[in-house]
Order: sequence, then structure tokens, then C-alpha cells
Amino acid sequence: MLDVSPHIAPQQRAHGRAAVVIGSDGRIADLHQSGAAKAMLPRMHGRPPEVVFLNTAGGVTGGDRLSYALEVAAGATVVGTTQTAERAYRSSAGTGRIETRLTVGAGATLAWLPQEVIVFEGARLDRVLEADLDATARLITCETLVLGRRAMGEHLRDIGLTDRRRVRRAGRVIGHEAIGLDASALSSGAPAGLGPATALATVCLFASDAPDHLDRVQAALPPGPAKGLLGLRAAASAWDGRLVVRLMGPDAHDLRRALARIVTTLTAADLPRVWQT
Amino acid sequence: MATAGRMATATDTGDLLRLTQWLSPAFPVSSYAYSHGLEAEIAAGRVRDAAALRSWVEVVLTRGSGLGDAVFLVAARKTGADILALTDLARAMVAGRERLEETQAQGRALSDTLSALGLTVPDAPYPVALGVACRDLSLGDGDVAALYLQAFAAMLISAAVRFMPLGQVEGQGVLAALQPVCTAAALRATEMTPEDITQSAFGADMASLEHERLEVRIFRT
Repeated sequence: MLDVSPHIAPQQRAHGRAAVVIGSDGRIADLHQSGAAKAMLPRMHGRPPEVVFLNTAGGVTGGDRLSYALEVAAGATVVGTTQTAERAYRSSAGTGRIETRLTVGAGATLAWLPQEVIVFEGARLDRVLEADLDATARLITCETLVLGRRAMGEHLRDIGLTDRRRVRRAGRVIGHEAIGLDASALSSGAPAGLGPATALATVCLFASDAPDHLDRVQAALPPGPAKGLLGLRAAASAWDGRLVVRLMGPDAHDLRRALARIVTTLTAADLPRVWQT
Repeated sequence: MATAGRMATATDTGDLLRLTQWLSPAFPVSSYAYSHGLEAEIAAGRVRDAAALRSWVEVVLTRGSGLGDAVFLVAARKTGADILALTDLARAMVAGRERLEETQAQGRALSDTLSALGLTVPDAPYPVALGVACRDLSLGDGDVAALYLQAFAAMLISAAVRFMPLGQVEGQGVLAALQPVCTAAALRATEMTPEDITQSAFGADMASLEHERLEVRIFRT
């Protein structure tokens, strides 16, 4: 049977770059947009400034290059997100690339809360997140991968995906999560690997007081699956200026609901409005 | 490999004795105290027999921290390797607090013990410290990494034999079945740098975090 994607694949080799600098006063200090990438700053009515990135190509496929950059100047508090979920489509040639670069200045806080990446059959994608923090900066990150859409009966057999998330503080690496998924990882179903999960998420807080938040975050976690049964797993850990929450499960909607609760607990704020659409 | 077909020298055999001594379960790095999260999987009923144990360990060796450790080991072995950078990266890549504890505590214990035996090795995450210790051994990277991975697998299986209903002999059967896996993963590690590492042992990493919340546990991690 032919693979029929209900979406029209975007143009080959779409490029886009959007870069925003928010100054210490919370206003745009610099903005660059080119190609398919856009950055918007909605009115926030008393809430911290929010930067919303958008890929107008509707997704990424082999050969495409998408780049987002967000810099937060000293003392500012900013939330960054994406307008929609990103879609990694089947590639007919080459590998797509999504790069995100975050820079957080002294005493500044950035909550980087992009929506999920949905991966389709045959996708070839390299994602890279690089964050550079000042010694006193705070960063929250939230990364979600959805492997096929369960509601549409999609069960992925073959993808080539790497996803590297690297965080540096004062020039030294303090966090590095490197994911690689291919056909054999998808097909094995081994419990130590993906098991029954089709959705994965990692939430991180990088801050000197990170361990102080662990109890609150633990209380916000969903109950685990009953012994031996398959369902959403979620757990948290904290050490050395880091707090990490990991989620994995067979239902992306369940995971998203749990994720929303964890993120709002950690940021002590509502999710970006674009998450509700 | 280069040693095939050539007679083993006294140096080769001596170096093999050294490395197997350092990797022995009796060597005081307290490896018996760590389950790498496996205890949580067994407690949750997700690993309950030899077949499930074999699968779990295989994923950790080939797509998780086993392969990752082997790559750090090979990298640290190289003369002039930036040990501080490798230490930072190895620490940055741990899934959670207990994984950090495992690798740091074993690394420190290795460093302390080797120091008492006359070999100076930095206090670093275990595979990095071991890599430095192995610099003057006349063994190929593939052999060193394979022995490391087998010792790692043996530690996990030993934890399972103690905690699950699984016999000693059955456990040894699992270890023997994993030898080709250790060999293949070790070979891959010799062709990689730490920047190349990617992982997909999500369930195993999750178990390491879940282990922190186990109310009754016999392993430190």
C-alpha cells in the first residue's frame, strides 16, 4: 500500500532563520527574519515578554534548514515558544536540520517551551539545541518528540533522527542529552528502549536552586502505570544546579497533559497561549 | 586485530592480568551496590525473567550508557585527551542523580585504589578514570572496551540474580549470550568520539529516575 501523507510535503530545501534579542528592559533589541522563519512578539498584558517562532513552510523535510535564535539580555525574563508543533516529513533526499540557539545573560531567565516535534514515516532530521548561560542565568527547557500520530494509526517503521540538546554555563558543558532513533530502535519495542512509547519529553531547569524545586515537581507528576502495565511513565531528579523530568508513553495527548502540569509548576506561570490551540 | 597470529608477549599477558584485576567484581569500587535502575524495573514487574534481563542489558550496552561509557573510555585513553572536558561531558550526559552517583563514586574508588597500588589516575567519572589507567596497557581499544562492557553487563546480571528469582547459572547464560553484543559495541566505540554519542535507552534511563522513589531498595542506585 502506498504511503499517503494527508499533508502536502513542503518545498524541497526550504531555508529559514529567525533571531531575536530581548534587551534588559524586556523589549526587542534586535530581530532578524529570513525565508520561512518568523518570530512574533504578542502583547503580554503584564506577563513576561513572549517570543513565538513560526516555520511558515509547515514542516521540515530532507535538505531543509531551519534556524531559531533567542538571546535574553541581563536581568530580563522571557518565554520562548513555537506557534505550532513542528512536523518532520518523509525525506526523499538528504537530511533536514533544525537548529536552536539560546543565550541567557546575567541574572536573566528564559523559559524555552517549544511545542512538540511530530515525526512522520521516512523522516530524516538532525535537531540541535545549543544554550549558553551566564553564571547566574536561569533556563527552563522542554523538548517533546511524537513518533507518528497514534490517532491516525501511524506506526513508524523507519526514521533517521538525531536530537542533541547541549547547555553550557560560563563556557562549560553542564547538560547534554543526545537522542538517536532509527529503524532498529523503532522496531525493537524493548522495554529498556522505547517500549510501547510513541511520545517522549524532557523538561530541564538549570539554576543554582534547582534541587529546591524537586518536591513541588514530584507532587505534579502523574501517577505511574500500575505494576507491569504499560502507560505513561514520568519521573524527576535533581542535582548540582539541575532538575530533570522525563516522560514517555504510548499516548501523546496524555503526555502533553502531564507535561503542561509539570511545566506550569516549574515556571509558576500559565503555558504560552499558543499551546492551547 | 594486530595481535592475531602473533605470540602473546609477557607484556601483553601482564597487561591483561592488570585490566582484568581492575574490572573484577572483587576490585573495591563497590560495583555490587549499583543496579543502574534495574532494581526499579524488576520491582515494577517489567523485567521478570532471563529473556527480559538479556533484552534490557543489551539495550543499555548498545543504545544506552554502556556504549556511551565505552566511547568515553576510548577517548580518555588517548594521549593528550582533555580529561576536564571529558569529565564535564560525561557528567552532563547522565540521565539523573543516581547515574551521576554511580559513575562518580566508582571513578573515585578506582582512582583511590589504583593510587594506593602506585598508579596515579584522576578522580573522574568511571570510564574516564579507567581510560587514563589503561593508557600504558599494550591492549587494543576494542579489547579494553569489550572487557569493560562485559564487566558492566556482569554487574547488572549479578544485581538481577540477587534481586529476581533467577539462578546463578541462568545469569551466566545471559552473560555468555551477550558476549557478541559486547564485542560489537566495543568495536563501534573505537570508531566514535563522545560528540558522536546518541542514545535511545529511554526505558532504562527512566528506571534510573524511578529508582530514586523506591521505598524499599537494596541497591544504592
